[in-house]
Amino acid sequence: MPLAMMKKGEKARIMTIKGTDTVKKHLGALGFVQGAVVTIVQLSYGNMILGIHDSRIAINDDLAKRILVQAA
Amino acid sequence: MSIKIALAGNPNTGKTTLFNALTGSDQYVGNWPGVTVEKKEGRLGGQKDVIIQDLPGIYSLSPYSLEEKVSRQYLVEEKPDAILNIVDGTNLDRNLYLTTQLAELGLPMMVAVNMMDVVKRNGDTIDFACIGKALHCQVVGIAAQKGDGCNEAATTLVSKIASHGAPEVPHVFGGSVEHALAHIEESIQTLVPKHAIRWYAIKLFERDRDVIKRLGLGVGDLKHIEEHIRDCEKELEDDAESIITSQRYEFIKKLTDKALKKNAKKKETPPLSDRIDRIVTHSVFALPLFVLMLCAMWFLAVADCGPGTLLTDWANDGFLGTESWTLPFTSIEVPGLGALLASGLERIGCGETVRSLVIDGAWGGVATVLGFVPVITIVFLFLSFLEDCGYMARVAFIMDRLFRKFGLSGKSFIPILVGKGCGVPAVMSTRTIENERDHRMTAILATFVPCGAKTVIIAMFASVFFRDQWYVAPLMDVIGIAIIILGGIALKKSSFFAGEAAPFIMELPAYHLPTAKGVVLHTWNRVRGYVLKAGLVIFPVCVALWCVMHFDWHLNLLAEEEIERSILRELGGAVAWFFAPLGVGTWQGAAASVTAELAKEQATATLQLMAGGEEGIAALFGTFSSFPRVAALSFLVFNLFVPPCIVAVVATFREMGSQKWGWFAVAFQMFVGYTLALSIYQFGCLFAGGGFSAWLVPTVIVDLFVLWAVFRRGAKQGTNDE
Repeated sequence: MPLAMMKKGEKARIMTIKGTDTVKKHLGALGFVQGAVVTIVQLSYGNMILGIHDSRIAINDDLAKRILVQAA
Repeated sequence: MSIKIALAGNPNTGKTTLFNALTGSDQYVGNWPGVTVEKKEGRLGGQKDVIIQDLPGIYSLSPYSLEEKVSRQYLVEEKPDAILNIVDGTNLDRNLYLTTQLAELGLPMMVAVNMMDVVKRNGDTIDFACIGKALHCQVVGIAAQKGDGCNEAATTLVSKIASHGAPEVPHVFGGSVEHALAHIEESIQTLVPKHAIRWYAIKLFERDRDVIKRLGLGVGDLKHIEEHIRDCEKELEDDAESIITSQRYEFIKKLTDKALKKNAKKKETPPLSDRIDRIVTHSVFALPLFVLMLCAMWFLAVADCGPGTLLTDWANDGFLGTESWTLPFTSIEVPGLGALLASGLERIGCGETVRSLVIDGAWGGVATVLGFVPVITIVFLFLSFLEDCGYMARVAFIMDRLFRKFGLSGKSFIPILVGKGCGVPAVMSTRTIENERDHRMTAILATFVPCGAKTVIIAMFASVFFRDQWYVAPLMDVIGIAIIILGGIALKKSSFFAGEAAPFIMELPAYHLPTAKGVVLHTWNRVRGYVLKAGLVIFPVCVALWCVMHFDWHLNLLAEEEIERSILRELGGAVAWFFAPLGVGTWQGAAASVTAELAKEQATATLQLMAGGEEGIAALFGTFSSFPRVAALSFLVFNLFVPPCIVAVVATFREMGSQKWGWFAVAFQMFVGYTLALSIYQFGCLFAGGGFSAWLVPTVIVDLFVLWAVFRRGAKQGTNDE
């Protein structure tokens, strides 16, 4: 399911990221790769602060819809 | 021969702190050729022939941002003698991603793991030898904030360059990728430098367009390489780029599982940073908190009984004044600088004209501007603190939702906040916005937020006209933001700017208390720029203004009361009609607004020169209009929201990329400032009981046009939400 459907405080394992643009590459560099676990630290009208590899990355809701995850 | 060491690492790892610790004050700041990304160089303390090159903070060597492009170009093409890679010890996995890429460049490298003090406090341990063995380089621990281990790391690296040749590069990928890479390496070995062959091979595997173009491979070779990539993609069921990224992280994961021992007892409570974020980025509290923060800044800087006002009064009437002041807690009388200057002139026997030129002309204007140094310092202190503690990044996140409504991303908010300090770096910082439309729009809009120099005008008008209306000063910030929002909506609806904004991705560094030294240094750099401008721009302008005020066209010296015959009166009078509908249609109003284009704070200096001191300004506006306070508000708003000072306009032209776009920006800004001032004065007079004015008709027409531009249906390809 898309990351956008997760709730605050939940953990998710990344399955895949849709698209092939430079945004995807940039997300990869930040640690968004298949199998990585993200925690939803904050949720604000669809925009999210995610905990990944001990850092906090903020993304907007459109990106959250492109990241497909599995509850972990 | 000098040795060049490149300092590379992720953003927010303490790279600047390390750079300062290594180079001390011996730094040179410039720009990378052709771009506005800052380039910093410095000499390693005590070693004159070792140059440290500070690279911008980057996440990888695949160019996403302009910074990454610049860094990659430098590392690959200019080939430094060694790389010092700074890594955040509290976030090893993500940081080592860049490290593995740097290692593939085949240059001598050392990894400095920063924040070891925090790592130790958390009870974690890192096995440096284990990481070093896997990456074929030396790894050391440092604490840059405290200066621990920084110089040792650099000197060890320097000695290593002399003793060792090119290092062996680590192999981080799985069997099938390594197989493909070996084939690629074989076909390019004559084309690329031996030490970096692995880096080139990986880039070709990722189908990096820049590298393919630069190597100029033949069709046969390219086809051969493509076959191997395809085989690999088929076997691993993913695209080549994702394979490389994933396998890098797998390699790092295995490495940190071995080398990083986390304290098992901790982790129960969420980190303090997250707890702060629960409130600061809360969907309801975030915006009010931000507004509160702005109000606090304004209270400190310009409120009637706040420290800013007290210091400003002391600076104007005491320190810079024409009389003496008393040292606090003593009875020692100290003469003001103005008084010292006057008595000095008297002693060397100057005539009245020279005295007037120096005291009323040059010193009067410069002192007015210098008198606002306390206000500026407080604003900059506040901004530096917010930036250094990590709040700025949160503000971008909070604002993203709002900004996306009119087609910009929260990233556009950072130039706007920088613009609170100065419009020039604000316009230049729009370069980090990848999307060209967003970039242009932000450059047009960023300077609407009142900058430090405009703060001077606001502070003066607040103290002269609006002492009882504390809200006027913060209101100017609110108007600035409102213009940005409505202007953004209107621009986005025109066909030039229609389209979605780039997605928002931003790292939020953990909150930390900035060091006093860091904040003071940051603030000092900005205040220094302001003071220098007082000398380099305000001083000559004031002297020139004094001259056009005291001479007529035949270069006859005029007495004070003959100002009606001066050159300035005629020049100002010639353009005064333009300002008439705004309530300041006199030569004084025109002269103040025109000279303000050279530097915004000049408006205050010019006014005070013509009014004979700050006390005379209220009376001067009394001669402009029968509603002096409405005219004052209109004048204030006009000067804040027309195009910024000439320096910022030049910067805007550069960012817009063409003359046509540059003029578009200026015309847009002029329209906004004029319309706003016009509306305020015309409606203000109407509500203040001034009766009907013929100017109300065009005012209403223009306002209706603005409403139409904001609320009409967008051009095709417009934003889909709402």
